[in-house]
Amino acid sequence: MPIITTKTIIIIAIFAILYMLFIARKTARRQLDLYDLVMLSAVAIVPIIFATFPQLAYWLAGIVGVGFPFVVMFGILFAILFIFVHRLTVKIHQLESDNRLLLQELSLLSQAIDHNDDAG
Amino acid sequence: MNESRVLIIIPCYNEQESISVLLEEILRCQQGYKTIVIDDGSQDSTYRKAKQLAPTVKLLRNLGIGGAVQTGIKYAYRNGFDFCVQIDGDGQHLPCELSKLLQAYREKPRSIIIGSRYLHNDTFHSTWARRFGGRAIAETLSLLFPKCLVTDPTSGMRLMDRKAIGFFAKHYPHDFPEPISLAWALREGLSVGEAPVQMNARMHGNSSIIGLKPIIYMLRVLGYIILTRLIPTKLP
Repeated sequence: MPIITTKTIIIIAIFAILYMLFIARKTARRQLDLYDLVMLSAVAIVPIIFATFPQLAYWLAGIVGVGFPFVVMFGILFAILFIFVHRLTVKIHQLESDNRLLLQELSLLSQAIDHNDDAG
Repeated sequence: MNESRVLIIIPCYNEQESISVLLEEILRCQQGYKTIVIDDGSQDSTYRKAKQLAPTVKLLRNLGIGGAVQTGIKYAYRNGFDFCVQIDGDGQHLPCELSKLLQAYREKPRSIIIGSRYLHNDTFHSTWARRFGGRAIAETLSLLFPKCLVTDPTSGMRLMDRKAIGFFAKHYPHDFPEPISLAWALREGLSVGEAPVQMNARMHGNSSIIGLKPIIYMLRVLGYIILTRLIPTKLP
């Protein structure tokens, strides 16, 4: 029995295409940026590539010395997601700092306006 | 020094029981310093009570002690104050003791003067965990920054000169800020000193550092201090 049957490839492909359509629509509506589309698409594209060309997994496993070929696929997916999460973490921290700064500035401005109103 | 402009910064969160007493005590001390209260998004009547007695900034959302103190420091920086003194809004710090910090600065100018509970004082009692944590942080600071020999790095009562005000207006830690801000200041080449002060027990409410928090507090603070020393990049 082959490692992956045509049925499996079709199921993975359908899910991948639906997901890509979904995130492409989000990007078109500017709810995601192009970088997010590329990184998230990779999560859909990588399994399709490995499902369509299973020998690729064996070849890569031989190169990196992994016993079980599909670990390579999960390794690549993990690396892509790790880069994505890393970038998101940095971005969230930056946004938190910006948010804090804005709240401080708004509060100081509000106090200055109150003070001027009281004085004038 | 007498002509210097001094601002007292009072960060507070839900301190309706103690804020009026503290502000009245500051007025009684008649030191002639300006005061600014930073209400860190309190849900009780802290803002209303504070505003009756002193200029008050109401933070639109709770930013934590670091965000509140930094707001006060920004106010000091923009309004040209020569010194600012941070004291807690819970009534632990005695306003009349502030002159001791300024006196210490007069005798030996340092960018930051910490009001120490433990310097030349064996009578102040706190919990075992707090004493141990404070000691561990002080030892780590003095090990990594040999110029910093402090006994009370977690004290929230401190005086900052114009140089420190300028630095902290741009960069101030938001979590557990007192000891971490010392490490940041030392990395920037600012000097740190101490003056002995008397402190009260908390008037009302409970400390937020309870349960397992002292351990987490200490680990995070030590982690930040070690990182500050290991990666000596100056802040932009």
